[in-house]
Amino acid sequence: MFNRRTLAIIKRELKTKLFSKSFIIMTLLVPLFMILVFSIQFFIQSMAEEQKSDLIIISDSSEILNKVQNELFNTEAFKSGDLTSLTEKVELSQFEEKLKKHKSDLLNQRITGLVFIPSSALQSKEVSYYSYNPNNSALFYKIKPSINKALIEIYFASKQLTDDEIKFARKDVDINGFRITSDEKVSQEGYGNRIAMVLFSFLLYMALIFSGSLTMNAVVEEKSNKIVEVLLSSANSTELLAGKILGTVIIELIQMAIWLSPVILLITTSWFMIPPEFMPQMSIGYILYFLFNYGLALITYVALYATVGAIFDNPQDAQSGIWPLLMLIMIPFFIALSLESNSQTLFIVIASLFPFSSLIVMPARMILIEVPVWQILLSIIINVFVLLGIFKLAGKIYRIGILLTGKKPKWSEVFRWLKAS
Amino acid sequence: MKVLEVKELTKRFNSLTAVDKASFSVEDGEVFGLIGRNGAGKTTTIRMILNIYFPDEGEVLFKGEKTKQNFKDIVGYLPEERGLYKKMKVIDMLLFLAELKGKKGHEVLKSAIDYLEKFDLADRKNSKIEDLSKGNQQKVQFIGTILHNPDFLIFDEPFAGLDPINTNIIKEIILEMKQKGKVVIFSTHLMDFAEKMCDSIAMIDKGKIILNGKLSDIKSRYASRNVSLSYSGNISFLKNNNLVESIENFGNSTGIRLKDYNTDQQLLKLLINNDIVIKKFNVNEISLHEIFVSLAGKESNDVQ
Repeated sequence: MFNRRTLAIIKRELKTKLFSKSFIIMTLLVPLFMILVFSIQFFIQSMAEEQKSDLIIISDSSEILNKVQNELFNTEAFKSGDLTSLTEKVELSQFEEKLKKHKSDLLNQRITGLVFIPSSALQSKEVSYYSYNPNNSALFYKIKPSINKALIEIYFASKQLTDDEIKFARKDVDINGFRITSDEKVSQEGYGNRIAMVLFSFLLYMALIFSGSLTMNAVVEEKSNKIVEVLLSSANSTELLAGKILGTVIIELIQMAIWLSPVILLITTSWFMIPPEFMPQMSIGYILYFLFNYGLALITYVALYATVGAIFDNPQDAQSGIWPLLMLIMIPFFIALSLESNSQTLFIVIASLFPFSSLIVMPARMILIEVPVWQILLSIIINVFVLLGIFKLAGKIYRIGILLTGKKPKWSEVFRWLKAS
Repeated sequence: MKVLEVKELTKRFNSLTAVDKASFSVEDGEVFGLIGRNGAGKTTTIRMILNIYFPDEGEVLFKGEKTKQNFKDIVGYLPEERGLYKKMKVIDMLLFLAELKGKKGHEVLKSAIDYLEKFDLADRKNSKIEDLSKGNQQKVQFIGTILHNPDFLIFDEPFAGLDPINTNIIKEIILEMKQKGKVVIFSTHLMDFAEKMCDSIAMIDKGKIILNGKLSDIKSRYASRNVSLSYSGNISFLKNNNLVESIENFGNSTGIRLKDYNTDQQLLKLLINNDIVIKKFNVNEISLHEIFVSLAGKESNDVQ
């Protein structure tokens, strides 16, 4: 399989792709794209927070109204004018009527919402919010602490407690994460690794889809412009497939190393000044593992993409054939993102060992916790076996598909090819 | 000496039998034509010879041994549907094709440039393939086929889509290859070319070989069935003679079609014995095209 013909094909891939415009553009564009995606998310979030809200606060207790209003006056949102509030004292029995009166204002959004704090809230802390859009977490985030504080103060005022005691009661619990690793070092965990986990998973996900699609299109092109028959008169289909895949893997690994170089510099040098809570705790060993794992993932997925390319003879039909592959990349990606809440459930452990999903979930899990070495090794062994299986399977379909043109083959026919050889 | 033997090759695609027990052999140093209509099974046969398709049955022997990878190294193959990497430079494309065959280095480069000069393409060696005209792309493809100096050349419809000048260039090169002692197999549906260039042929129709052998033998075998005759006397006795299939009167001459090949001399004797005065007795040269029509025109199971 690895001989001068495979080598010649790898060389051609490198020569034509490594210095091509598209490689350079992609290398620059992907980081820009990622920055764009993250900043759009940030932008939308801050937009939601900055939206001006006009509230009416209703209660049957003037004490509650005064306290809540006082607390709201002290919030940043109120000071910056993003939040205004009016208070209305209304008896419980007349609340329904009051609500009806405000209904048109609520509907055409002259009033953002109506907060109803009955005096029973002093026992139950249950508050109602009436609005055209009742799921406004950005607003709740702004007003909840003020209401809570007001309710607590009124509740404890009659209990004759000191200010310090009230302050304690009011304080929320703050959980600091400390990571325990086998090297006896206990270190406080910031956001750094969580951000890195999302970033790395996203990078892996995008890079796999991009390189897969590129390979698939290249195979479709070779098939439709008939060069493949010339190649097959010199090399066999396995050599062709191996050369194509290995060429792509080398190019993509170089690209990934370029993308990761800022992270490598970040963790090995002190050139960058970033706040310690954003600093990921990551070793060069992990980066090397990540690249190795990316190599395995590339071979696996690129082989599958190339196979799909070989089945179809035009890009449109090929697009319709890639959805199963997209699932194989997207599902693990979403599992990886879910690690943010807990990376140690049984489901996650299995997903980080399971064929295909392991390629994306394991590296994400390794950023968050110290995964036992046996699990890492097991996942690598499983992945290598899957890769060999995929390569064999891909080779069979590729060999038959690559020369067939004309009618779009049915999946049943493709399965018959598998049996035929 | 037989260099290539094709034995009972069969290839089926689902229910269609594309090639059905095809057998023929190619001698050293000859130009061999695989002829037949479009869709007869020529390309499938060639692909099996090259191991691009695996045959369902049968085998291909090269110098008495089953063909292996090293056979591909000494073959130059020009497929019917040409294909090159459009974004590659001409010279890079040629060197890549040669490297796949195991040839690289200065010598190949020199030889590539020589061929480009021969085909009037030397100034385009750094152009991208896609910037070349279709005819020039074909020339590049042709150079790619012969650049590694193969002993064995397989051309699938080499003249398809070429203008007369380029057709001539390629014809010359095929003959030049022959003179150098190389084996050339080409497939074509153009009987004219086959007739002019081939030493041996195999005629394929509906996947079956319907005729195979040295062209000269085949022609002499088939040629003697048509006789045109100028005479005086009465030849009506021929009508029920079992040598004769049909007689047609063209006025000045009479065309006699014999039932069997190589019976023209018997006919001549018969006419002399019957005291016919023969003014002209012409055993017509038959063209390959006529042979093909007479064989492939029939249902293939009627033919041996």
